[in-house]
Amino acid sequence: MNPSFKFLLAVLIALEISFTSTWIVNLALAVIGLLLILTSRPTFKRLILLFFVPLIPASALAVAILLQSNAGIHFALVLFTRIYAYVFVGSAATLTTTVSDLVMSLEQNAHIPSKFAYGFLGAFNLLPKIVSEVNIIRAAGNMRGQALHIWSPQLYFKAILASLDWSENLAEAMTSHGFSEEAPRTYFKRIRVRWWDWLVLIGSLVLLQVALFGFHLQ
Amino acid sequence: MATIAVNHLSFSYPTEDGQKPLTLNDLSATFPSGGFSLLTGPSGSGKSTLMKIISGLYPKFSGVITAGEVRLNDTKISDIPESDRGQLVAMMFQNPNQQFAMDTVERELIFALENQQVAPDHMMARVDRALDYVEITDLRHRQLNSLSGGEKQKVALAVIIAMRADTILLDEPFASVDPVARQLLLSKLSRLQREEHKTILISDHDLEDYDQYIDHLFVLNGTGDSLTLLDQKAAQQKMAAFQRQDTSNKQLQLPTTTDQAVIAAHQLTLTAGNATLISQPAMNFFKHHITLLTGANGTGKSTLLLAISKLHQYSGSLLLNQNEVAKMHRKQLYQQVALIFQDADQQFLNVTVAEELALSLKNSQQPTYFMDRIPGFLKQLHLEQLQDHVVYTLSGGQKKKLQILEMLIMATPVELFDEPFTGLDFTSLQTVMAIMKTVAHDCQQTMVIVSHQLFGLDALVDYHVTLKNQQLQYVGGLA
Repeated sequence: MNPSFKFLLAVLIALEISFTSTWIVNLALAVIGLLLILTSRPTFKRLILLFFVPLIPASALAVAILLQSNAGIHFALVLFTRIYAYVFVGSAATLTTTVSDLVMSLEQNAHIPSKFAYGFLGAFNLLPKIVSEVNIIRAAGNMRGQALHIWSPQLYFKAILASLDWSENLAEAMTSHGFSEEAPRTYFKRIRVRWWDWLVLIGSLVLLQVALFGFHLQ
Repeated sequence: MATIAVNHLSFSYPTEDGQKPLTLNDLSATFPSGGFSLLTGPSGSGKSTLMKIISGLYPKFSGVITAGEVRLNDTKISDIPESDRGQLVAMMFQNPNQQFAMDTVERELIFALENQQVAPDHMMARVDRALDYVEITDLRHRQLNSLSGGEKQKVALAVIIAMRADTILLDEPFASVDPVARQLLLSKLSRLQREEHKTILISDHDLEDYDQYIDHLFVLNGTGDSLTLLDQKAAQQKMAAFQRQDTSNKQLQLPTTTDQAVIAAHQLTLTAGNATLISQPAMNFFKHHITLLTGANGTGKSTLLLAISKLHQYSGSLLLNQNEVAKMHRKQLYQQVALIFQDADQQFLNVTVAEELALSLKNSQQPTYFMDRIPGFLKQLHLEQLQDHVVYTLSGGQKKKLQILEMLIMATPVELFDEPFTGLDFTSLQTVMAIMKTVAHDCQQTMVIVSHQLFGLDALVDYHVTLKNQQLQYVGGLA
């Protein structure tokens, strides 16, 4: 499915279930999300994380509702399943799309300015560098007899300085490789919007309405 | 073919208080079309600044032109639309780590071609040819982050070739490139000039190996107020002073049995991505000696220094004074070993030169030794006037000198230097080596130095280790 459509669908679903309280629909969305996640063949560790990380906010919310309010079991169940629906639907979108495909689709289909698209991609490519940079800054501190703790302003000063430096260099590098904000570009990989993208988007939303409405009537 | 004309150009990086000290002052020169020109001058003279003005990056990204102009084929650089500029002029940067926007080699090339609005059907052919031209077809799908400095510079050249830029600017491109890769890059550039009539302008303070390639030698003086084209004779003289010193007959000693090991490796394996860099049954670095470590680009020299500094994982055993590096506490480890990073910016913790020096002196293991010697060292390194300067605004060479000095002041027993001599002009190089030698002797330090530049090193180092085919080995020759 077209990456922009996929993310739009995920956001719309998330919005919609924020305002409805049908736990069976939440559960169904979570299961569908999980099935899609499984098609991307995630590692076992990632799956475990996906199950346990949402467990914390989900149970905290549910317990809080049960103990502190008189909204009842039903509402606690809705909140609990809602968290899982968010996480699994969101992950289903992210885990089945590469960042570069998403960026290309946002640029070509959603027509966001290429400056933002490539700025985002550049920043994303920098993420692993930031982690190793923080380690290096701390080592550089130790080597000069200066312990930089996680709360040391100096650590952040250096990290921010490094990022500013990178962002400027990235901008210069992009410019020297012919990138210009307003200029038109050609695309080696065309990300197309096909008829079935529309079908899946609209079909899923219609199904969701039907399901929500159906359960609501009961 | 394109002529670059610099007319009465003055350029300034305005300071906080609104002053405009001139980095370049009333420069004029014409870099001939279709020629291979070399621009030289001492560290901090403004070579990088001039290159970035010619490429159109400045004043867009920094500084202001206070007078004059640069013209490319009679058109003012600032009047050329950005989207057309790529075909006219492209630039390769001094720091190989900071010139790519994408994640893989192939995507970076495609990105550049997309910017030039090349038709998608033609892209692959251009990418193939560019990679083939620089002989890096095997790097095509590699992550840019995982490449060595020399490999990155080859990729940068491939991008320029794919873009078919008429004028190629290279700003100290060989700082972290080994001699073999440097020769390859130079011969490719020379071929581009001869066969495709590209105009090439390289800035470098080190003139070795250039004489057979270049047509014109330009000199920018230390204060940035005179840019002159040397005539044939003066150029020959200047080049001759830089003839590669024949290092092949310089003999160094091999370690003796009485040497004490300070760093000891057993069954050590270092990897980067999927590639095994070093697989070493046994190896020692010896106490109170200065050891030079050489090897081709990407063999894992920097990675070894990072592993000893606990900044890269290893398998097997790596002992520092009989303690396993991986198990040592950072604080304890870094009192015994310090790494002088390839990228000087990573070393700095404070804002100004004076603050940097003060921090080192405060935490030095030999404060009394350095207390009265620092002013002398600063003078020798021409840093004494720069004490109030923000470290990040220094030139590449000045940063390197400050970085080495502040780490020497720490007087850590074991110091690992990763390419400490890049960006240093000839005189600075001599001074830095002399200071390192003195301090190492007086403070009884052990040093391991990774360097591509071998000039004059026989006077500094005791032993020489080469890294080849995943193996470290002591050798007697310097070359």
